[in-house]
Amino acid sequence: MREFSTIAARAFLQPSLLVIIVTLCGSAAAAQDSYPAQPGKDWPIYGGSYNNQRYSSLKEITPANARNLQGKWMYHVEGLQGLESVPVVVNGVMYVSGYNRIDALDARTGNVIWRFRRQPATAAYQRGAAVAHNRVYITTNDGHVLALDARTGAQIWESKGGPKASFSGGPPLVANGKILVMGNRFDTVGDGGGFIQAYDEQTGDYRWTWRAIPEKGDPALDTWGGHAPGGGPIWIGGAYDPELKLVYYGTGQPNPQWSGKGRPGDNLYSDCIVALDVDTGKLKWYFQNTPHDTHDYDSTEIIVLADMTFKGKPRKVALQANRNGFYYILDRTNGEFLQATPFVSRVDWGTVDPKTGKGLPDPAHEPTVKGTITCPSTAGATNWPSPAYNPATGLFYVTATEGCGVNTLASSAPDSETSYLESPRDKEAWQLYTRAIDAKTGAIKWDYKQVRSNHYGPGLLTTEGGIVFSPEQFGQVSVLDAKTGRSLWHYNTGDLITASPLTYSIDGHQYLAIASGTNILTFGLPEPVTAGEKKP
Amino acid sequence: MMHGLTKILLMGLFFSLVLPLAILPAQAQRRAEPSGPPNPFAGNSQAITQGELIYNQSCTACHGPNGGAGEIGPEIIHNLSVPLRGELNDNQILDVIRNGAPGTVMPAWKGKLADDDILKIGAFLHSLRGTAIDNPLPGNVAHGEAVFWNKGQCGTCHMLGGRGGLRGPDLTNIAAERKSNLIIDALTKANHRVYGDGGVHLRALPAMDTYDAVHITLSNGRTIDGVLLNQDGYSLQLMGDDNQLHLLDRSQVKAVAEKPPLMPTDYDKRLTKEEFADLMAFLTRQGRKAPAAAPAPRNADPD
Repeated sequence: MREFSTIAARAFLQPSLLVIIVTLCGSAAAAQDSYPAQPGKDWPIYGGSYNNQRYSSLKEITPANARNLQGKWMYHVEGLQGLESVPVVVNGVMYVSGYNRIDALDARTGNVIWRFRRQPATAAYQRGAAVAHNRVYITTNDGHVLALDARTGAQIWESKGGPKASFSGGPPLVANGKILVMGNRFDTVGDGGGFIQAYDEQTGDYRWTWRAIPEKGDPALDTWGGHAPGGGPIWIGGAYDPELKLVYYGTGQPNPQWSGKGRPGDNLYSDCIVALDVDTGKLKWYFQNTPHDTHDYDSTEIIVLADMTFKGKPRKVALQANRNGFYYILDRTNGEFLQATPFVSRVDWGTVDPKTGKGLPDPAHEPTVKGTITCPSTAGATNWPSPAYNPATGLFYVTATEGCGVNTLASSAPDSETSYLESPRDKEAWQLYTRAIDAKTGAIKWDYKQVRSNHYGPGLLTTEGGIVFSPEQFGQVSVLDAKTGRSLWHYNTGDLITASPLTYSIDGHQYLAIASGTNILTFGLPEPVTAGEKKP
Repeated sequence: MMHGLTKILLMGLFFSLVLPLAILPAQAQRRAEPSGPPNPFAGNSQAITQGELIYNQSCTACHGPNGGAGEIGPEIIHNLSVPLRGELNDNQILDVIRNGAPGTVMPAWKGKLADDDILKIGAFLHSLRGTAIDNPLPGNVAHGEAVFWNKGQCGTCHMLGGRGGLRGPDLTNIAAERKSNLIIDALTKANHRVYGDGGVHLRALPAMDTYDAVHITLSNGRTIDGVLLNQDGYSLQLMGDDNQLHLLDRSQVKAVAEKPPLMPTDYDKRLTKEEFADLMAFLTRQGRKAPAAAPAPRNADPD
């Protein structure tokens, strides 16, 4: 017999759950870090948990029964385009976001519970909202941060934003009583560089800003050869370590993007993984993956936090499969470089010093007017859609793109720009794989070859049930065996997929969900039909 | 030698682009720029009343009352419940009034009406198109706020600015979402309907915004009172009087009983005339004027 899925209703039957209700009814807790270390019943945050492992404790769906999966419900998100966001699920409610809007759905049926809309309506790409302490936090495309009541969508507060704030669409991060948001250009004119900004969770008051380009007095300013620093856009969410009180974000490429001549030097803090003090926004450490980048190798791929024994020593590590083709392992307490290994077969933009991890770009691969072929392409060996890490298998799963690209400058002017294309040469066309990497050695353990691709693919998740949920750019979703990569089940969603998936459970039934095109689709195992189940 | 197909394509281009410009220069120039000097009478209630009089003398015969379309002229106000979307803006409408619409029976009113009168018609039409916040009602706003939270007991069900109850819709932005007359209807007319509720071709699944009060008996004998947020043949979504969401499977539900609506619709009687006017003055100022358009995509997310 099916239980009803509300926590409140279930509390009638299970008094122990009353504690949860009381907590939820209270006002937003100030410095409470509310997400469990591992997602289970809920998928409460973009990456499943603060560590972005996307490793769910749910075990109902397994390699043995995945073949029985079926569609559960579908919801069309009206007014948006090619969804890139990851919905979050808390207490049986799924929150689907766009700029200036939220649709709250019954996660069991897909029925709308409430909608929030704020002018102006826009279909601009956006990548998620945050839900914590009975509130939903979203950014608007005109520089506001909003707090909504998670039960009704009523607006609790609206913050006008800090100085010169104009936000990108990455999901806000609720950490230690603050809401962290991000942007690509810290200014209303010119190139102010990427930034992270913090607001008070209770009141929306502005707290701090960290900028991805060095300000006066910072020695990093000397890494630009006299050129005004620019770039370092930040447009995807971070990770958070509640014990270290550090947030981790990746920054984007330096500007001008493709021509490095005018900005000799490493161009800090572009293409970096940075660790910031959550309370002050002060830079604790940085690690630059691609110094003096001329291929748009943003370090904005999702940063995964894990605790593991590395070369005999217990380490708190930060893992990243970077767009430049290397899989990095860093000590996240201090930024110490531990290891970098290529996770695609062709990497020729440069090399990485095995001791220091410093990237050494090959000048022969700088973009030229004639065109320069480089591996990986600007689309990256992977991109921002999320990888997943499964501590049980020890595997790090990533959507990897084999192949190369061509970068052609418009002119020989020092700030000449270009775009990028797939390499025209044989065997350098882009090919997507769902790839399993040994998280400690970086060795490739298995590949699931995706069919058709013209860009980077969507993100992944993995579970204690032993599966990897693997969507593909051209609309197929598959469930793979986490150990072997064997395909167990597939479904054609009928539209392009860019987003990363999620999983959650209601009344013990596990759901897999993904945004495809402008639809949310969910899947689960058949439920037994009970005598009481009938349409009244 | 020109390829035959190219020739045909070029000829097609000529007919579709060049020829109409040559024949109809006036039409090509007719539509004014969206931007222009602001209407000095916009939001001026006295001027709007005067504008309505002038409109009724000069325009109603063709365009119908309140710009809702007449026997000869097209509708000017497209949907009485929502702000204008995508149609001519204020400045373009003024241009049509002044200069007429060539090729139609719409005359140029420049010279026939004083320009101030044309501007007042413009202010009147703007007031029809805008929501309450474009033309807030007069009254003592501070007193209206006190009525909202105290005698009116609106906060029992409605949230406003992060404070209040959960069973009714949030009113934080109500004046930007509704016209004043619809807010008045909601407080004074039983079983009132928002124009457009029925008969409209939906383009997307709407949320259920009727806020029906229900008393639900579960199979196990428990009861839940609340407001229905959505339902289908197999499930119910409810905001309970306990301020919690209840997402129910109908297999668990024994009976759903409708209750009388929670929303009183006799506020014109339970409040004094002054209190009601002040409450309206308060409500018609709650919200944020919608920006003209989305800002330029400075932050379009790269990849």
